[in-house]
Amino acid sequence: MTQPIVKMVNVTKRIGKRTIIDKLSLDLPLGEVFGFLGPNGSGKTTTIRMMVGLMSLSEGEIYISGHSITKDYEKAIRYVGAIVENPEMYKYLSGYDNLIHYARMIPGITEHRVNEVVKLVGLEGRIYDKVKTYSLGMRQRLGVAQAILHKPQLLILDEPTNGLDPAGIRELRDYLRLLSKEEGIAVFVSSHLLSEMELMCDRVAIIQNGKLIDVRTIRGSFEAGTVSSRVLIEVDSPQGAAQALQAAGYSAALEGGQLIAVETDREGTASVNAALVAAGIKVYGIRTHVKSLEDQFLEVTGGERIG
Amino acid sequence: MGDFLQLVRNENMKIYRRPRTWVMMSILLGLVLVISILWLSFGDRNSTSMWEVVFIEASVLFLLVTIFTVVIAAGVVAEEFTTGTIKLLLIRPWSRSKILLSKYIAVMMFAILLAVELFVSTIAVNWLAFGIHADPEAALSFPVPTGGTPVSYLLQYYALTLVSLVVTVTLAFMLSTIFRSGGLAIGLSLFLLLGVNSFVALIAMLDYQWIDYLLFIHLNLTQYLDGNPMREGMTLGYSLGVLAVYYILFIAVTWYVFNKRDVAA
Repeated sequence: MTQPIVKMVNVTKRIGKRTIIDKLSLDLPLGEVFGFLGPNGSGKTTTIRMMVGLMSLSEGEIYISGHSITKDYEKAIRYVGAIVENPEMYKYLSGYDNLIHYARMIPGITEHRVNEVVKLVGLEGRIYDKVKTYSLGMRQRLGVAQAILHKPQLLILDEPTNGLDPAGIRELRDYLRLLSKEEGIAVFVSSHLLSEMELMCDRVAIIQNGKLIDVRTIRGSFEAGTVSSRVLIEVDSPQGAAQALQAAGYSAALEGGQLIAVETDREGTASVNAALVAAGIKVYGIRTHVKSLEDQFLEVTGGERIG
Repeated sequence: MGDFLQLVRNENMKIYRRPRTWVMMSILLGLVLVISILWLSFGDRNSTSMWEVVFIEASVLFLLVTIFTVVIAAGVVAEEFTTGTIKLLLIRPWSRSKILLSKYIAVMMFAILLAVELFVSTIAVNWLAFGIHADPEAALSFPVPTGGTPVSYLLQYYALTLVSLVVTVTLAFMLSTIFRSGGLAIGLSLFLLLGVNSFVALIAMLDYQWIDYLLFIHLNLTQYLDGNPMREGMTLGYSLGVLAVYYILFIAVTWYVFNKRDVAA
């Protein structure tokens, strides 16, 4: 892994006697869409507020591109573009004036860049209208526009799909993947929408009651042959296939219909197929059933809500 | 690190792109016109000095300048919090102190703009209304100190009132930062300004030492222009000293609170 863009070390936040965030340590590499998943009230937004310096840390330290967020704020925050919760803009200004407002705060952002970003988020038609006439989806787009204005290395989006229609969500998802892969930036997305995270993220950290519970890879882990997964096989005779696999040392379960299920990894899948063919079983189809993030999430958090 | 003037430009944009700012400035100008026109219609045009009307308007309408500036000052920090825009404003490569300073400077520029508007409009309107025809020797009912001209008296009057304006507005700015609620900051500042000021003459009569240190005894600096201070033995220098201490206190509290506090929902 290359030098992480974000390094969180034992980040702790206490308010009064309550510990909101408890010794959270996390590294984010460049070029990844990283999901931050947790039930409501688990501390997602608090963590994000600490990452962007809106809240102080009770303990620990956050480094962005090597600069401490508490001691060297003005340097650290340069690498960050963010939307914290809803993208609240100045409603009495036009979308364009809002962007100019933020552009003025960072040296080197030209008018050309502002126009480029406007086009990128698809707001050309309405950018000179007052923000109070915008729909939630348009405000969300404007929020993304202000966050990427200065080409940050780290993009932090808190619940970015709130208020977007399915087409908008898809567009945002594609755009985030593009940013992370083509521009090589790190995208940090928080959400409680599991299915959304599954489609959007490379890795997901799961947080509950202020504690980091798990970090999971969403994509590519089965393909990389590291984890075992449920493999569903469609055959002409499930009974015969199960017996053949038992003989070959695999435990197979009947799934009903023409299906059997085997728990194995990538290499195993090929061997299973070979064993079946050798036993004279006709194989019509093989597919891997990757556990959905929702299954994993509920498994890890025990289905518990706000604790 | 960037250009600080751009921050002030931003704050100015947020003040002057709002209709309420222009409504305030129009009301001020409108009232100057109304008072002068009424005077012109019902007063004796030929025996009135334009300075007489200028002084009356300046003393009445400067209160309005203070109120309007307090409204702007109270909103400038608090509204960023109530609308949530503070989050996107703070996550830029600027320290919180500098962002707050840009807001403070924009508010002070607005205060001066209103004062200049009042000064220029009262003189221009009344010169047009009275100055051309009036008898230049018309007596003033206002006590201009011996040896002074009306203009120098007026300038002193504005200078002293501006000092009080700055202190009052800084108080409103502080309340806005502490309470993060524009309404509360406006209400409290105006209550202190108008409510307490109407009792101030009463309080000033009490014979306690600590009353000498009260802010409100010193906010009306023009008492020294006419030569009869509210309390025995008070001088302009003493009042300015007390105001300076309060001013530094307000500024220190404002910046401390703004820098320290977590920005939560």
